[in-house]
Amino acid sequence: MKKIFLVLLPFLLASCQEEGILTKDREEVIVNPTAELKYYGTFIPTSGISVTGDAKIYLENGQYKVVLDNFSISSGPDLKVYLSKAETPTEFVNLGNLTSQTVYPIPATVNVATYSHVLIHCQQYNHLFAIAPLTQN
Amino acid sequence: MISLLANKINAQGCSDAGICSINHGFQSDEKQFKNTLEFAVIYSLGEADVAYFSPYIAYTKRFNDRFSFTSKVTFSTANGSFGTRSQFGDAFLIGNYTFKEKKSTQWSVLTGFKFPFTASNLKINGYSLPLDYQSSLGTIDLFLGTNFKYKKWDFNAAFQIPIVNLNKNSYFKEYGGTNDFPSTNLFERKPDALVRATYSIKTNNKKFTCKPNVLFIYHLGEDSFENIFGQRESIKGSDGLTINGNLITSYALSKQSSLELSLATPLVVRDIRPDGLTRSFVLGLQYQYSF
Repeated sequence: MKKIFLVLLPFLLASCQEEGILTKDREEVIVNPTAELKYYGTFIPTSGISVTGDAKIYLENGQYKVVLDNFSISSGPDLKVYLSKAETPTEFVNLGNLTSQTVYPIPATVNVATYSHVLIHCQQYNHLFAIAPLTQN
Repeated sequence: MISLLANKINAQGCSDAGICSINHGFQSDEKQFKNTLEFAVIYSLGEADVAYFSPYIAYTKRFNDRFSFTSKVTFSTANGSFGTRSQFGDAFLIGNYTFKEKKSTQWSVLTGFKFPFTASNLKINGYSLPLDYQSSLGTIDLFLGTNFKYKKWDFNAAFQIPIVNLNKNSYFKEYGGTNDFPSTNLFERKPDALVRATYSIKTNNKKFTCKPNVLFIYHLGEDSFENIFGQRESIKGSDGLTINGNLITSYALSKQSSLELSLATPLVVRDIRPDGLTRSFVLGLQYQYSF
């Protein structure tokens, strides 16, 4: 029995992860210099959070994109980029996980003009990290 | 002998959730030993190209002929296009009570809980993963079940009811890079009802036992998730019936120990299976030691 336990032990202790085709670092997306800047704002941290950088929304070939410019933030376990109608995440579009990517496409069905903020929000613990109020360019 | 919801594997519906994977300790004919340890390794194939390796350990304490208690810890490694992710799954705590046998019939009842080790939001390289790659559904579940034994037949019925939803999964199909898995952001799961019929065949020397069985799982409602606009959305087709066929063969190594091989495959599946429990094929090997 001891032998069986020793055989199983490595499996039980192995809590690991390995990247696959769909989770490898993706090629960095950049916004074309000819894209039109439509909205911009500077990130403000919430209590206990450190953040720098700006949120900018560009229109490129009919597609709106949120760009995080010179951006850095305190680490969090489940940070998301939200395009929000208020400075709290009540009505928003979840643009996905905050990653090393700086460009976050906005779905075509979204009326960007009705959104006023870009938020960085930890979904798992429902904690708002940073707020960027948007100003029209 | 109490095969109450016993099998450890099945092809769909409860590989993690596991009311149908609740421990084998209940099944033992051997009542003279008060303790039973189980070690199992399960290899299975899931949706798309996902393959699983899922060991578990279980311990059963038999207090007397009537009452036993089982604890179990699961672990899971999932491998596919998203990569490989391993983690502990759930802890099960289950109590079982067997009534006195009357005229070749016997009833037993079971109740217990499942506690997840994760919030079902494991990631790889910062990318959110579908529930198919999660080691647990991230729910605390209540189990309620009963077993009716008649001669060589066992009939089980059970409910698995999520009572606390700790699921914080954040997978969106829109951002996942594949259409193989539905969105399960902040997933909420409905209960399951299960019915199983098992027939036991023993060789004369009682060394080999074969237990073909069929398992019906009805998912009692549509699961839901929160879409990219923060609105809860039902997952159409996620409710309904699953039927699994399962063949268990066990060999008694001694009075105290046995080996068991299980094979399972689904015969009928739900239209949409967002919980990641679907298996096209399951092969399990289990060792049981009583003392």
